[in-house]
Amino acid sequence: MLFPTSGFLLFFLVVAAAMAALQTRFTAKKAVLVVASYYFYAQWDWRFCLLLAASSALSYLAGRLIGATADRERRRLVLGIAVALHLGLLGIFKYFDFFVLSANELARMLGMQHELPFLEILLPVGISFFTFHGISYVVDVYRGDVAVCRNPLDMALYMSFFPQLVAGPIVRAAYFLPQLERPSPEPIPIAPALLLILLGLFKKVIVANYLATGLVDPVFAAPTSHGGPDLLLATYGYAVQIYCDFSAYSDMAIALAALLGFRFPANFNQPYRAERLREFWQRWHISLSTWLRDYLYRPLGGNRHGRFKTYRNLLLTMLLGGIWHGAAWKFVVWGALHGGGLAVERMLEPWLGRHCRTLPARIVATLVVFHFVCLAWIFFRAEDFQVAWLYLAGLGQGWSGGLRQAGPLMVGLIALGLAGQFIPDRLFERAAAALGHMPVWGLGATAGIAIAAIGALGPEGVAPFIYFRF
Amino acid sequence: MVAIEKELPSVAARPAAAPATADAIPLALRRSGGSARQVLALSLIGALALAVFASRDLSTWLDRLGGGPVLEPLQHAAAQWNGAMDRLGLTRPHDALRTAMRRLLDWRWDTLP
Repeated sequence: MLFPTSGFLLFFLVVAAAMAALQTRFTAKKAVLVVASYYFYAQWDWRFCLLLAASSALSYLAGRLIGATADRERRRLVLGIAVALHLGLLGIFKYFDFFVLSANELARMLGMQHELPFLEILLPVGISFFTFHGISYVVDVYRGDVAVCRNPLDMALYMSFFPQLVAGPIVRAAYFLPQLERPSPEPIPIAPALLLILLGLFKKVIVANYLATGLVDPVFAAPTSHGGPDLLLATYGYAVQIYCDFSAYSDMAIALAALLGFRFPANFNQPYRAERLREFWQRWHISLSTWLRDYLYRPLGGNRHGRFKTYRNLLLTMLLGGIWHGAAWKFVVWGALHGGGLAVERMLEPWLGRHCRTLPARIVATLVVFHFVCLAWIFFRAEDFQVAWLYLAGLGQGWSGGLRQAGPLMVGLIALGLAGQFIPDRLFERAAAALGHMPVWGLGATAGIAIAAIGALGPEGVAPFIYFRF
Repeated sequence: MVAIEKELPSVAARPAAAPATADAIPLALRRSGGSARQVLALSLIGALALAVFASRDLSTWLDRLGGGPVLEPLQHAAAQWNGAMDRLGLTRPHDALRTAMRRLLDWRWDTLP
């Protein structure tokens, strides 16, 4: 069930009606949200719900066990087992066949006949996200950063809450669980939530979908059939497409949670305006980059043990971040590029700090970071490693043919997506404040008409969000 | 055992300290708003506006769900509703936008106006 569909609207109407009917009965509201979340998840495959329930039960029990003892060794043992089980589940579903494939290729190279069998199991949508939730909870309980969750209902809702279940943002236990202790005294921010939904729909249905079907997919499917200008535009197009697709999901998830009375953290903040690669990661998929920082980079030692180990930790963190996206060498290269880029940038930081202060230097820095990110996107988007190399080779030749695939609309959408990176925050706040003055019926009618317009402008049907597969 | 249980809160159930994570919707915008009932009212009005101005999409969506004793009457009703909206001229903005978008998609550099 995708957010921008009539089926989801109907589902949300039922949930909103239950929330309105239950008024102050907070426990009943949470129970309804758990049932609704499992129903939402079962729309992909009901068997996935068993996995989600198992992951929730594991986190809950591990939290209770860690909280039940003051013995440091025992707490560490429980933490280790819980994290290993979470990662084991993720590993089996996401990486088992990749390791089998790599092992078989290695065996063939060594002249061995025997091949390991593939499991060929369906990857459960969103498994990475609820695994990250589970790990963050048990680690935070171990560190004492979050109180032990004693209510299984709260744990079930934390792990399954439908707005963030399949593609994030990754909401930390310390951020979300306190919201489940008592209802929020704040009013529901209806106007900003509606604005986020409309913005998300526009980015996904119009910008991301048209760029995908009109430019990115055909060019990446056959890079050798396209000239340099089309390849370059398709690279920019993919940068805009993946931003609009993923940030749209986050916007809508944040808005839906807000309409149900919960707060979510920001997940994107105009990433392509970054002047440093490090800054890019402070603006892109913020909930994942902070998760990797707190549960991987820092436990590895962070920047506490000298320069060399800092570079190593950056590289390792981004490599694992790359592998998280999928079991393929292209993601390894993507992670290595970002890890290497961050390490080199850190090495050059004193020089960059001295020379990148003026406006022209900052513009150049932004362009360099954007193009480096685009280069890494080529590996991320290409079907495989070989196609990525063909694509890069194509960028260096055949510049005389002009733009064939990238029509004026595609160029316009890319320009719009990039211009959106430089819109001041206060514009959103002003628009939300202006909408906030409208009566509820006016807001509802405006939203309905705007959604109808976006639906009319968009292509038939809606493609799944890119991050569903991660 | 009792002694251990008394010790636990200081070890495991320390007051939760939320990480320094910025809320997606800033505090200034969360100071005013509405209730769950207003959210429901707004969603219903929005759905009604959609049913009026995107009646064709409603009918298409129901058709895509397949057949059956529950769905067929709904599909028939949606088709009639779409016909009624069409007669009232309320589907024209939807059609006009779709046509305009098709034209934009067909534009090429050598056919630009």
